[in-house]
Amino acid sequence: MAGPDGQPAPDSAETEASLLARAQAGDVGAFERLSGAYADRLFMLLVRLLGDRAEAEDVAQEVMLRAWRGITRFRGQSSYFTWLYRIAVNEANRALDKRARRPAGVSIGARELDLPAAPEEEPSRQAENSELRRALGQALAGLPPPLRTAIVLRDVEGLSTQEAAEIAGVGQAAFKSRLHQARLRVRAVVGDEALASSGG
Amino acid sequence: MGMLGRTGDHEWSQRHLSQYVEGDLRPRARRRLDRHARDCVDCGRGIRAMRALVYAVQGLDGLAGIRAPATIFDRVRLAGPGGSPSSQNA
Repeated sequence: MAGPDGQPAPDSAETEASLLARAQAGDVGAFERLSGAYADRLFMLLVRLLGDRAEAEDVAQEVMLRAWRGITRFRGQSSYFTWLYRIAVNEANRALDKRARRPAGVSIGARELDLPAAPEEEPSRQAENSELRRALGQALAGLPPPLRTAIVLRDVEGLSTQEAAEIAGVGQAAFKSRLHQARLRVRAVVGDEALASSGG
Repeated sequence: MGMLGRTGDHEWSQRHLSQYVEGDLRPRARRRLDRHARDCVDCGRGIRAMRALVYAVQGLDGLAGIRAPATIFDRVRLAGPGGSPSSQNA
């Protein structure tokens, strides 16, 4: 059984429902198996939203703690994955707010997202696109958090509009508005020439 | 079409390129943008650029190999069963 986009879900002998029931009864191990199936993907999301791996590690721990503390309030109105991702987006936004409030002297500002080439990409293609990746990373990092969240969830993560809107905590119309704004801003920063040369 | 209408169409089209490539425009609005882009080099280029942008962002999968840190459940383990609301309420 696989979760969203091939993410390994708990095996069939130990279904998500049974793990959830045990986790809600206070079984830490069951919670770890339940949430661990989504841990890699959740961590990638945090790195993309925060642009900083060390900070993403800290926030990922906080996400899991909040999920554990709130597990009894999960009623299955959405998938567990969606619920966990929503906590992750909220925690990432909280971390970005904290970052923005830091005094200027220690401000680290919006960091460029480090987005290396996909390992399976041909070397010539990697070189061709490395500059575009860097430009896209910079453009995404410069977006206000709600817009960055929208484009990461929809375009990078490939979630449906409905699921991405639910995770972002807004209606679909508002989510689409954010997504379209984000794309227009990224296009303006990256430039049509760089996009045209990407061969997309 | 007068100059004012053409300028209005151009600005409107530029603002709706993402909706256009996403398929979010209603048929009448889509026809409006199609009609304008046929004669507007900027908007034709804009449509291609927006398609390329979505394609390029979808290809930002360079993080696909990274794994969650082994420490991800450390705080949960520290909190233990006592960290869950069911235990706190017990």
